[in-house]
Amino acid sequence: MSPKMVTPVEVGSVVEPALRIVWSDGHHSRYGWHALRVHCPCAACKGEWTTRRHVDPASIPSTIRPLRIERVGAYALRPVWSDGHSTGIYPFNYLRGDLCECEECAARRAAPSAP
Amino acid sequence: MSASPPDRVRVLEALRDVQDPELHKSIVDLDMVKEVQIRDGTVQVEALLTIGACPLRDSIVASIEERLRSLPGVREVRVSLGVMTPDQRQALITKLRGGEVSAQRRSSFLTAESATRVIVVASGKGGVGKSTVTVNLAAALRREGRRVGIMDADVYGFSIPRMMGLSGQPTLIDQMIIPLEQDGIRVMSIGFLLPDEGEAVVWRGPMLHKTLTTFIGEVHWGDDLEYLLIDLPPGTGDVSITLAQTLPQSHMVIVTTPQVAAVKVAQRAAKMAEKVNMEVIGIVENMSGFRPAPGADPVYIFGRGGGLRLAELLGVPLLGEIPLDPAIREGSDAGVPIVASAPDTPAGRAFRQVAERLAERVPVPTR
Repeated sequence: MSPKMVTPVEVGSVVEPALRIVWSDGHHSRYGWHALRVHCPCAACKGEWTTRRHVDPASIPSTIRPLRIERVGAYALRPVWSDGHSTGIYPFNYLRGDLCECEECAARRAAPSAP
Repeated sequence: MSASPPDRVRVLEALRDVQDPELHKSIVDLDMVKEVQIRDGTVQVEALLTIGACPLRDSIVASIEERLRSLPGVREVRVSLGVMTPDQRQALITKLRGGEVSAQRRSSFLTAESATRVIVVASGKGGVGKSTVTVNLAAALRREGRRVGIMDADVYGFSIPRMMGLSGQPTLIDQMIIPLEQDGIRVMSIGFLLPDEGEAVVWRGPMLHKTLTTFIGEVHWGDDLEYLLIDLPPGTGDVSITLAQTLPQSHMVIVTTPQVAAVKVAQRAAKMAEKVNMEVIGIVENMSGFRPAPGADPVYIFGRGGGLRLAELLGVPLLGEIPLDPAIREGSDAGVPIVASAPDTPAGRAFRQVAERLAERVPVPTR
C-alpha cells in the first residue's frame, strides 16, 4: 500500500481570524493568515529551485487574508489572497508537516532531528 | 376481439423504456416526448431531438415504434421528430448534470462522493503499452458487465481511437460533448476533434490543460459510469498535473516492462502519485515472456522481473503479467482489443485477470 496522506476533514472559513484545519487523524492545526501568505510555496514566491526560503514578510500587509480557499485534487489547498495572489498550492503534507503552528508541531520541528 | 387502445399514461409508461442511445436515459425523463395522440388504434408521438443532425435519429424512431407496437390495442404507430429549442436543450443539460441550477456544476466524478471510480493508467517510459493495457482493461471490465469509459489523456500521442476502432466527431449538444461509444465503452479522445489521424497536436501546456478540463467537465460521461480509465501520456508532465489537480479522487495503475532499467523510471510515476495523494493500486507488467510456439518455453525478450521488482519497491500488488503476443498488437491496429476478440488466449486471460484484481482493489459501491 502506498502511504495515505493525512487530509483535512474540516477547513475553517476565511472569515475566521486564522486558518483552522481538523485533520483525518484528529490533529487540530491553526495558521495565521500572514504567516501562511509568507510561506506561499509557489515558484514566484519561493523561486523555481528552492534557493530563497520565502517572500519578505515586510512586503506582505499585516491585514492580508484570503477571499476564498479552494481544494486542489486530493492533495492541496489553494487560497486566493486579498492581494490578488493565487498561484500558491499548499499540499496537505506541507501544511501539516512544515507550517502547523501548534506547540507540538513547533517543538517537533525545533528538535535537531526527528527520530 | 381486440383490446382497447392504451391511454396516454400507458403510452408514456411504455416510452419510459426507450432510451436516448447517446445519453443513456429514458426519453420521457429527458422531456424528449412532446406530444402523444391516440385515436382508435393509432398512436402518434412527436419526439424532440436534442439537435437536428442527431446521427441516431433512426434508431430513436425505431425504438419508439417497436416499444409501442408491443402494447395491446395498438394498430399503428406514427413518429414525427422535432428539434429542441435552445432553452429546452439547456434544461436538458442542466438535468443531465444532476439537476443543479448552477452552470458551474461539473461531472459527477468531480465530487469526492462520486460513485465513479477513476483509474489513471500511467507509466514512466513511453512505449510500454499503456494504451493497449487501457483498452483491454476497459474491454475486460465491460465483459464483466461494468459501465466503463476511456478518457484518452495522451493528447500528443493519442492512439485510443484506432485501438477502439472509433473515428468521427462526437455529438455536441451546445457545450456538452457526447463521448463516442464502442461495444458499450464510452470514449473521448483529442483524436475525435482533429480533422484526421495524421494531424499533430502542437500545443503548450495551457492548451493541454483546457482540453483535459473540458474532457472531464464537459463530456457527458453519464452518472451511471462505474469505471473511468484515463490513459496518461508517459512521464509526469503537464497532463498528469492537471489531472491530479482536477480529480478529487483517483487511483493509479502503473504499466512497466520486465526490463529493470524501466523500473527506476516507472518509480517516478509512483513518486508523483504520492505527492498528489493518488493511491497506486498495482503494477501491470506488459511485454513479459514470449512463447514462440504453444507449449514452448517462453523467451524473455525484455528481461524478467521488472514488474515484480517495482511492485515490491512500492509495496503494492503486481496485478498481472501480460505476455508478448503479436495478436495483441494486431488487435490494437485493427481496433478490436484482444480481450474482445480472443478472451481465452493467454494474453486475453491475463488482461481479464488484471481487470478482476483491479475491480477487487477498487470496487464500485453497490447502488
